[in-house]
Amino acid sequence: MAEAVEISAAHADAAGPNSRPLTIISPPALSWQLAWRSVRMLPRYADLLYTLTAHRIKVRYKQSLLGPAWAIFQPLAMMLVFAAVFSTIVRVPTGGHPFPVFAYSGLLPWTAFAAAVGSASTSLVAHASLVTRVYFPREILPITYIAAAVFDLAVASTVLLAMVVYYQIAVTPALLWILPILVLLAGVALAVSLALCAIHARYRDVGVAMPLLLQIWFFASPVLYPLASVPAKWHRVYTLNPMAGIVDGFRSAVLEGRTPDLAALGSAFAIVGVGLPIAYLWFKHVDATMADLV
Amino acid sequence: MIDVRSDRVSKKYAPRAAGMSGPEAFWALRDLSFDVVRGEAFGVIGPNGAGKSTLLKLLARITTPTSGRIEIRGRLAALIEIGSGFHPELSGRENVYLSGSILGMRRREIAAKFEQIVEFAGVAPFIDMPVKWYSSGMYVRLGFSIAAHLDPDILLIDEVLAVGDGAFQEQCLGRIRALRRSGTTAILISHDLTAVEQLCDRVMLLERGQAIECGDPQTVVKTYRHRLGANRPPLIPGPQAPVPTIDVTGVAFLDPDGLAGSSCRTGDALDVRVEYQAAAQTTGQAVEVFFYSADARVLHCQLTTAFGAVPFTAHQGRGTIEFSIDELPLQPGDYAVVASTRDLSSQQVGSYTEAVRLQVRPGRMVRGHFYLPHAWRHRREQELR
Repeated sequence: MAEAVEISAAHADAAGPNSRPLTIISPPALSWQLAWRSVRMLPRYADLLYTLTAHRIKVRYKQSLLGPAWAIFQPLAMMLVFAAVFSTIVRVPTGGHPFPVFAYSGLLPWTAFAAAVGSASTSLVAHASLVTRVYFPREILPITYIAAAVFDLAVASTVLLAMVVYYQIAVTPALLWILPILVLLAGVALAVSLALCAIHARYRDVGVAMPLLLQIWFFASPVLYPLASVPAKWHRVYTLNPMAGIVDGFRSAVLEGRTPDLAALGSAFAIVGVGLPIAYLWFKHVDATMADLV
Repeated sequence: MIDVRSDRVSKKYAPRAAGMSGPEAFWALRDLSFDVVRGEAFGVIGPNGAGKSTLLKLLARITTPTSGRIEIRGRLAALIEIGSGFHPELSGRENVYLSGSILGMRRREIAAKFEQIVEFAGVAPFIDMPVKWYSSGMYVRLGFSIAAHLDPDILLIDEVLAVGDGAFQEQCLGRIRALRRSGTTAILISHDLTAVEQLCDRVMLLERGQAIECGDPQTVVKTYRHRLGANRPPLIPGPQAPVPTIDVTGVAFLDPDGLAGSSCRTGDALDVRVEYQAAAQTTGQAVEVFFYSADARVLHCQLTTAFGAVPFTAHQGRGTIEFSIDELPLQPGDYAVVASTRDLSSQQVGSYTEAVRLQVRPGRMVRGHFYLPHAWRHRREQELR
């Protein structure tokens, strides 16, 4: 990475009005130390993160009649379509839960993930006019899309809450599991987005392939069917998909009030723990000369 | 105290390797070293492709060098027009917050300067209107105004005079002067030699990614003008004639009262006088007058032989030839004028003068690239029959 490093000059210079931060601009280099430094710079940009995220949410619904209701309407409409198909034409085992709430509790995390990755992975090229004119940590762009998607999920959760009440599903302390699961979801989305951003700057194929990729990923995740219906011999391969454990964990925390299947979440943990740092390191390396490419 | 230090900085672009069209690879900057002292105004000039915009991008951290390093002490801000980052559906107010935070301002800081920013841009009555309804002038002014209120330690200025109308440019210059008075270091990267001469303490001349000269503004700008005159390959190919029989020695500009000067206004009448010295009475040579833009592009060439003019016969000794322009079509700006001779049979260049500066001030308001001397006529249909 290493596009530029800011070092506090406080210890280098005598303290006082003369101590200004020192910025060093040097050639790109893959270095954990420099990546860690840019992570530590991020809190300084908290205001930018907040403003840009609020902007994403605001802009999406400007000049639209339904406004923020779209955040609810999208998964709701999907759920109604799937409910019509899967509870009348094709029967899917739902573990005894009404299909609408079964589908909605899976669609909620999936929609957030798909919306986050879909927009975040092309965000740098989409903001080429900014990226080539102003410096700011570019990882902020994908992060704001992910934050906006999580916000939408929170809004759409109100419908899930209404369904839980309507279908008289017991609320247990296990519901709190959805919080760490959402953190995992955001982490996986960030890792995937950073990697795709880095590729997208160079190869625009990412933008074209994105809808197809998300479509395949959707069917490879237990959104419309339970994880339990995956044959046992395929279980291990199947759960290599981090969204398998996340969608299943989210749903079981809401509907069944049980602790998520931690083994199924293994790949999500691995991606956040190992994949995310590597994706960030790589992103910062590409980021250093990204403006020459977009 | 050094605020900006560039240590053997090189930048290589390889558009082909990145899957874009263009040359295989080229060095936009080559081993460029310079220091900018705290509080000084440092100018960078040079022709197109010299590496000025690459240097700007490196200093603004938009990209990184291929080798070498740059050290910047303090908060550096680029004085750029950020309007391209505006979102059309959002109001002016929302866009100020958005652009301000992209430029690195805290929300509290933006709130404190909000009135000033809006006042400076002159868009106060429209601030809660979506910017898609703004005129392009309002858009640019608001975008620029945000950057102008950053209060950095080091100010990076790119072609400041290319923004907005004359009045707004004057306002921007005022802002730059105010920042300079408060001790802000400034780096001005510009085509505008007049602005560079007026604002800078030191100037660096870039050519093909390398520093040709660095020092006193007058000296460096003079070198640049000289090189502009000397490097004029576009319209004058071929080697020089071995013995120029006519020497063009100077170019002068005369206003309608016959007074010589180096400035005039768009739409004014202007006479251009070329002075020459001939060893003997000579025919078969043409005198050409080239007009160059500040970035060394040929804008116009006036020939004595063109369009059925009488073949020019030079008398022995000193003489002058003049041509008159009824209404000067050039937009306000800085131009360089060079006269040369050409042998009509061999098409070789004889002699040429140093580049002489012509400063055009705002006169007749013209939209577009140049003023077109013209007259309107209006006829009724009956009159046409």
